[in-house]
Amino acid sequence: MSTKFDLNDDSLVVIIGSGAGGGTLANELAQKGIRSVVLEAGKRFKMDDIENDEWKMFGKISWLDKRYVVGPARIAKDFPNLPAWIVKGVGGATMHWAGVAMRFQEHEFKMKTTNGTVPGANVLDWPVTLKEMEPYYEKAEKKMGVCGTKATGMPFHGESSHYKVVKEGANRIGAKCEQATLAINTETRDGRPSCQVNGFCMQGCRIGAKWSTMYTEIPKAEATGKTEVRPQSMVLRIEHDKTGKVTGVLYADKDGNQHLQKARVVAVAGNSIESPRMLLNSASSMFPDGLANSSGQVGQNYMTHTTGGVYAEFEKPVHMYKSTVVPGIVHEWKNNDPGRGHVAGYELEILHLGLPFMSAFLNPGKGGWGRELADSLANYDKMAGFWICGEDMAVESNNITLHPTEKDQYGLPVPVVYKADHINDTRMRNHAYDRSKELFDAVGALKVNNLPPYPASHNMGTNRMSEHARDGVVNRWGQAHDIDNLFVSDGSQFTSSGTENPTLTIVALAIRQADYIADQMKKKAI
Amino acid sequence: MNKNKKDLLQSTSARKGKAGEVCMNRRRFLSKTGTYAVAASAVVLGGGLFAPDSYAAKKIGEKANTTLLKMARDIYPHDTLEDKYYTQVLTPMIQAAASDDKKLSELADGAKSLDQIASQLFGVSYIDIKSEKDRVSVLKQIESSPFFQNIKGALMMGIYNNPDLWPRFGYGGSAWEKGGYINRGYNDIDWI
Repeated sequence: MSTKFDLNDDSLVVIIGSGAGGGTLANELAQKGIRSVVLEAGKRFKMDDIENDEWKMFGKISWLDKRYVVGPARIAKDFPNLPAWIVKGVGGATMHWAGVAMRFQEHEFKMKTTNGTVPGANVLDWPVTLKEMEPYYEKAEKKMGVCGTKATGMPFHGESSHYKVVKEGANRIGAKCEQATLAINTETRDGRPSCQVNGFCMQGCRIGAKWSTMYTEIPKAEATGKTEVRPQSMVLRIEHDKTGKVTGVLYADKDGNQHLQKARVVAVAGNSIESPRMLLNSASSMFPDGLANSSGQVGQNYMTHTTGGVYAEFEKPVHMYKSTVVPGIVHEWKNNDPGRGHVAGYELEILHLGLPFMSAFLNPGKGGWGRELADSLANYDKMAGFWICGEDMAVESNNITLHPTEKDQYGLPVPVVYKADHINDTRMRNHAYDRSKELFDAVGALKVNNLPPYPASHNMGTNRMSEHARDGVVNRWGQAHDIDNLFVSDGSQFTSSGTENPTLTIVALAIRQADYIADQMKKKAI
Repeated sequence: MNKNKKDLLQSTSARKGKAGEVCMNRRRFLSKTGTYAVAASAVVLGGGLFAPDSYAAKKIGEKANTTLLKMARDIYPHDTLEDKYYTQVLTPMIQAAASDDKKLSELADGAKSLDQIASQLFGVSYIDIKSEKDRVSVLKQIESSPFFQNIKGALMMGIYNNPDLWPRFGYGGSAWEKGGYINRGYNDIDWI
């Protein structure tokens, strides 16, 4: 029996989005007895909908609403309508994520203090430290079931053939390589099975061994009777009263009918393109530049991680697909050592693609054809490779704006994403390409292919946290500087990207934010 | 009504649900235009792409028929793959063109332009250029055209997203129903 709340119930928390941020927040609040409505733009999928098929799942679950990518980066040419590779469905990008769960390093919360002003970048310290985050990281690791951590005591997955090749290369060049701490069960835990290594983590885990809010936080929240999830509910705007407090959320259901859900508190968690877009779309005579935008930072500082791919071909088979998607990580260059020619660090995340996606990403775009490409694809079973994941400098002009004339199927202005490399990003990527080649050459690679960045699954920074209201959109709790009962609960609140995959930090922040919201509601401060 | 055409149309619509959906999303991904369905399995006729007297072959022209096959093999050259894997990608494109003048002219004009460029550069038609490198130099000149990109996109799906071919590339495909790889060699490697 699922709970239904009245549209006029103004005592609710309305959460927009059901992924790592929104899904976790809903469950954390529900466990404290706080009632919420979760508005999710996408459908609710069933486990049976999940298939081990790259293109089929891409077509089924991806966010494919119209978007533009502009700017000088190659991605604008190769994928002009697909800046981000994320999910439209209950569970959000936690369906697609590979499960990599790493904590930020201490210096990554204070990049400005660490490196001073970086010319051409808009770098800022977080108003939160690692020390403050540690207990929440611990809770997040327990909740999600992260293997290889003290929090769970679950062992690592074991060394796949793909891992062994990279590990050997790393050993030979003296680089540190470890199995990945994944939020994928290696034991039966929390009602979910142990991983059987299907190798399709990013298509949705068919057996539910990987943590996704789709089948953990969301059903747990619903089971309390305190949470109602409304799938296929696209938010059009967030309403406010004349005092500037938010009062409700206008959304369109699957048939296009509009509803206004009243709210005591609104939490925005629609990922780093949709979240700022919602705030911008909610502009009013009182807030002509959009909600919570007195700083002008809503939609700015868009970060994706500095990425790229490197795939080496060997003489003998590797069968990289017979592995968790990310079996291990080369951590050697994750520290902040300006001596390398760039600030901040990167990880080389061992990662496989299936043959179908390899054919699309090895040399994406119009020129990706011909004998060299075909010969490499013929060596698919002899490949091993990385996805480079490094810190991306916050740059104010990397941003999300609204198209001046073009509207999407909901009548909302189409988002336009501008992304250009900062010089630090370019240097870091080149450093990573070079070290990767060295590593693969050391273990006998016949050929090493460098791949340009793919559409981004890590999207961050467009409603960033800041100590001072002038520098960012939200405070240390993800609460809007300008509007006390408006929160941001996803990766858009990140002040810096770190080198680590964002999900664990999003979940830790959501757990922490739930404590704060509960406290503030109790005190009647919101 | 031409009997041959009716059969071809039926086989196209039967595939539409599955392959059409995937293809649409793939195109979204790669930002292509056009509406060709890609078939993972298609009716393969003897000879070129089609029997010379088939309705589709007549529509597209016998010359274009062979030019397109050569072009397909030059885009993703795998010498050990049989022609049928290329033709089964092109077949539904040409079938669709049989009832759509815009698509028909895209294919027919595209094939013609290949011959024109080939003739200017090498004095022979495209299929008569002996070296692959020279044929590639012809293709490079039309690389950004919708004609080329639509064929390339369909081939990418038809070759690399074709479960029938995955074993030949050493790719395993769907694994969950077989219990994954935890007991099927996930850590097997003998050269490290």
